[in-house]
Amino acid sequence: MSNIPAVDRRSRWKTIRREVGRAVGALVIALVVTFIVVLLTSKAPIDAITQLLTAPASKPRTIGLWLDDVAKLTVTGLAFSLVFQARQFAMGVQGQVYIGALAASYVALSPLGASWAGIPLGIAAAMLAGAIYGFLPGIAKAKLGANEIVSSLMLNYIAVELCNFLVRVSLPKPQPGVLTTNDFPDSAVFPQLIKFDGLNVTRLDLGLVFALVAVFVVWFALYRTSWGLKLRLVGHNARFAEYSGIKATFIMVSAMTASGALGGLLGSMFVQGQGYGKLTVLFEGGLAFEGILVAIVARSRPLAVPIVALFYGYLRQGAQLMNIRTDVPAEVIGVVTAIIILLVSSSFSLNFVTRLFKRSPSPSVAPAAAGGAAK
Amino acid sequence: MMELIITVFSATFFVTVIRTTTPLLLATLGGLIADLSGALNVALEGMMLIGCLTAVIVSVYAPWYVAVAAGLGAGAVLGLVMAFFAYRLKADIILVGFAINILAAGGTVFALAIATGGDKGTSINLQSKAVPAVDLSFLSAIPGIGPILKSFLSGHSVLSWLAAFLVFAVWYFLYRTPWGLWLRGVGEYPAAPEAAGIPVNKVRTLSLVVSGALAGIGGAQLAMFNYVGFTRDMTAGRGFIALGAVLLGARHPVGALLAALLFGAFEALAVVMPGLFNDIPAELIRMIPFVVTIAALVLFSVRAQRALALRGLK
Repeated sequence: MSNIPAVDRRSRWKTIRREVGRAVGALVIALVVTFIVVLLTSKAPIDAITQLLTAPASKPRTIGLWLDDVAKLTVTGLAFSLVFQARQFAMGVQGQVYIGALAASYVALSPLGASWAGIPLGIAAAMLAGAIYGFLPGIAKAKLGANEIVSSLMLNYIAVELCNFLVRVSLPKPQPGVLTTNDFPDSAVFPQLIKFDGLNVTRLDLGLVFALVAVFVVWFALYRTSWGLKLRLVGHNARFAEYSGIKATFIMVSAMTASGALGGLLGSMFVQGQGYGKLTVLFEGGLAFEGILVAIVARSRPLAVPIVALFYGYLRQGAQLMNIRTDVPAEVIGVVTAIIILLVSSSFSLNFVTRLFKRSPSPSVAPAAAGGAAK
Repeated sequence: MMELIITVFSATFFVTVIRTTTPLLLATLGGLIADLSGALNVALEGMMLIGCLTAVIVSVYAPWYVAVAAGLGAGAVLGLVMAFFAYRLKADIILVGFAINILAAGGTVFALAIATGGDKGTSINLQSKAVPAVDLSFLSAIPGIGPILKSFLSGHSVLSWLAAFLVFAVWYFLYRTPWGLWLRGVGEYPAAPEAAGIPVNKVRTLSLVVSGALAGIGGAQLAMFNYVGFTRDMTAGRGFIALGAVLLGARHPVGALLAALLFGAFEALAVVMPGLFNDIPAELIRMIPFVVTIAALVLFSVRAQRALALRGLK
């Protein structure tokens, strides 16, 4: 379409190279810090680091675990990408996951779950519930000006408690007192993608397909529809978008709703996937928030999200396996995550050390850069 | 129901409210200072959590006041880190804040496991200390109102008194000193103070440091008075509630005090209710502070919009 496709392509490659370089640089720094921490705290540091870096790819079973994580990280990364592209800091994916999982569980444990409709209806219910849960902070911001960061975070805590409550009181359980529901009927659990003869080795299931479909759908919606163009415009400059006749509040709310539907989908992928096949309290294990990292490193580009998820999922799985096999807790991954977010979201580049201690001549002031919350 | 009313109007409940309010109030004051300077501090949660753990671990080896100072210092350092990434490296401050929250959620569990030798849940095996309560029993010597005064005023944490004083100190600083004027100006319209030669980013950096320090003291109160010891994710959203309290308190120290008291009162209610009503599920009681925060935020936003409409700004 462009008159100067060659230039366009070259500049795109340049951007990609720069972003990849920055992500790799951040990863290397984060890993070096992790190695130092492990060296200082572990009794068998070499073993721990080897586990972190090699364990996920060592067996078909761990590869399955890794790719299953990748599918989930992709979906949460997409959910955050959507709202970040509209420059909304809605942090509600965690809550949407729990609400979506609840909706999917009610479908799966009803008579419907035992029929062919178990999977499609479960997903639809989860996405609808998630979308409603994403819609709430959106409409509260659009109509009332309620800060979306605070309201979406509060909704997360409410969703977690609601899930605890309903699992304990309302959903059918194998025996009283346990905090997990009955196993879903087979017709409501995603089938495995790959089966090895006789060996039930991998957790990889239909969720991966849904994640890839979601990548395509989000990419198409953002870059090939007028809604996506408007959304990106609102994200770049809401006031300009408003002047050019775009209803910025509508776009804002619809972005948060769509992101909520993705959060709901993730909830259904958790409980209907091979990993659980039932609803357990606190099943999500902090994965939802790691979508922030995936979205930031991918620069909120849907097509880059699965690639980032692939790498980050590897590290995440490596940390879990390191936790099981050595004396280093898996939570060390939180340090890696934080460092990567800090470095990638800042204007850090590989020669940043030299610029770091030079005084910038005039500190530029972004007018009302962060004060927007109070409006 | 009668029991609840009797409980709510008792002196013990008042003491509970002060106890639950103090960490919230300290974090809210921290959030207020950062917000007024134009630097939204979404990392209050993480700063409090790291403040908690630092205070607990230091209190094993040092007196309580050193531990509180360590919690304060940890928060201040995090504030400095945040400012460094946000202003020197030009990262989005909200993303930086969430990075610190993620660091705190994982890092505290990691550090706890290292400090306790593998325990990832609580610091129950560490002999951590508590912040002493201020004993004002001499007040009961006052004839007439003495015993009542004593039951309401005695037994609060030292840090509760500090927090009450800080409300006044922050107010005085913001509205009665030139630096407070700078800070508010930087938050209101940064171009003007910059033209007047006020170092905008330095002001914001300092306010983030103070903000982190206050959140760190809040964490110390939480882990050395409200509970003695550290538990995984023990802040449980208090930092985010504080963020809501800043907005609800109309970005004023006294408003912050009132908002923190409101949320503290509901948290105290959630503390006393399980003992009174066996039939209300604990999960729903634990939801109360979060539901109240959302309700308050929505109501306040409606009022703020109406005020804007009245002034013809919208």
